[in-house]
Amino acid sequence: MEDFERQLRNALARKQEPPTFEAKVYAAVAAQRSGRGIFWRWATEGAAVVVIASGFWMGYQHENQQRAAGEAAKARLEVALRITVTELSKIQKTVRTSTEDE
Amino acid sequence: MTFAEVLRANQSMVFSLAFHFLRDPGAAEEVAQDVFLRLHQKFDELEGPRHATFWLRKATSRRAIDYVRKRGSRATIALDDIAEPSSAEQPGDPLLNRRLRQLIATLPEKPRMVMVLRYQEDLMPEEISEILEMPVRTVKSHLQRSLAMLREKIDRSLGDIR
Amino acid sequence: MIAIRTFFIACIALAPLCAQELKLPANLDRLATKASEVVDVTLDSNLLQLASRFLSDKNPDDAQVKKVISGLKGIYVRSFEFEKTGEYAESDLEPLRTQLHAPAWSRIVGVRSTKSSENSEVFVKTEGGKIGGLAILVTEPKQLTIVSIEGAIDPDQLSELGGHFGIPKIESDPKHKDNGRGKDQ
Repeated sequence: MEDFERQLRNALARKQEPPTFEAKVYAAVAAQRSGRGIFWRWATEGAAVVVIASGFWMGYQHENQQRAAGEAAKARLEVALRITVTELSKIQKTVRTSTEDE
Repeated sequence: MTFAEVLRANQSMVFSLAFHFLRDPGAAEEVAQDVFLRLHQKFDELEGPRHATFWLRKATSRRAIDYVRKRGSRATIALDDIAEPSSAEQPGDPLLNRRLRQLIATLPEKPRMVMVLRYQEDLMPEEISEILEMPVRTVKSHLQRSLAMLREKIDRSLGDIR
Repeated sequence: MIAIRTFFIACIALAPLCAQELKLPANLDRLATKASEVVDVTLDSNLLQLASRFLSDKNPDDAQVKKVISGLKGIYVRSFEFEKTGEYAESDLEPLRTQLHAPAWSRIVGVRSTKSSENSEVFVKTEGGKIGGLAILVTEPKQLTIVSIEGAIDPDQLSELGGHFGIPKIESDPKHKDNGRGKDQ
């Protein structure tokens, strides 16, 4: 009986989620909140790239998995850098305007 | 505990529960994504990582069973055609593993989920009883009957593995 | 006139050597439940490495981004937009602010706009005389943005990303035509 149960454990071992899964969850969380605004745009653009990236994911072949995961990570990187640089740019502009006014 | 931490720690568990129950990678991903979306909405009601894991197991079980019920008579993927998602390690005889998964997929919904929770998550009947909200004796009875059926069919098709 | 780069350089000189990773507080996730729009991006070192492998050296935009992230250990962004004011309190940011203090961190920019009630702050962490981390905190009545970048970051390279890789172009400082390499103020 123990052998049989061990076989069952082997058969039902945890599987690895698709590589784009995490990115898709974040995109879905962002998309859940409909509306407008710059953050929504960032989120939806990121989600769109993730969806495109997921197109690269054909089946569960290792190479394609890696590719899709990489594209999803790249999409998230783009969103992160866009927000960072935009915020820095806004701050720089505000500082410049205020010092010019002085 | 942040949402990101809970997601990362449990995504394989949630996806696998749905996959072993549904035997359809696309449907499993859909269910798992929906479960995490719900988790995000309920996040501030959770009391810690253990509670989050319990909540996720319960929500995934419920959502996967609902999914099968809603799908009804819609055509499903032939069991032999399923592309297996990768797992870190797949010990044991791959043919036997495959046959066992096929047989588990033929079980009715509740006993099938009991088996998946028992042997994927290594949960005790008492824990399964809480997750599926059924008496412990019902869980034990599902386990006994499912094991007997699986053993009989495996013995018949592959010979005694003892 | 202050160019972003000069902020960073000034800070390096002022801040002592110290290494401490910035942890985004758990209560931020709870704010997401109140927000109407949320952006939550987490890129740890593994994901950064993975993304880097998919940035082509032949594509100039990709190559530039690759250069910028080569020394990074993580990028974490949380942005929340709320329907109404008062959905978050200054106390929600307290766990974050307590980490962003000397000697590890230095606040190099603090901008408060009375017109828009916007408050922007930039913090940097120094390690071995180099920038080892960057944090941006932007608070508005209905918006909150937190950016945390861990690792060696070159502000020049970061600024140069503007106009590439889908990132908006940063306005060049008219008095610093040499790409912001001029003197401070």
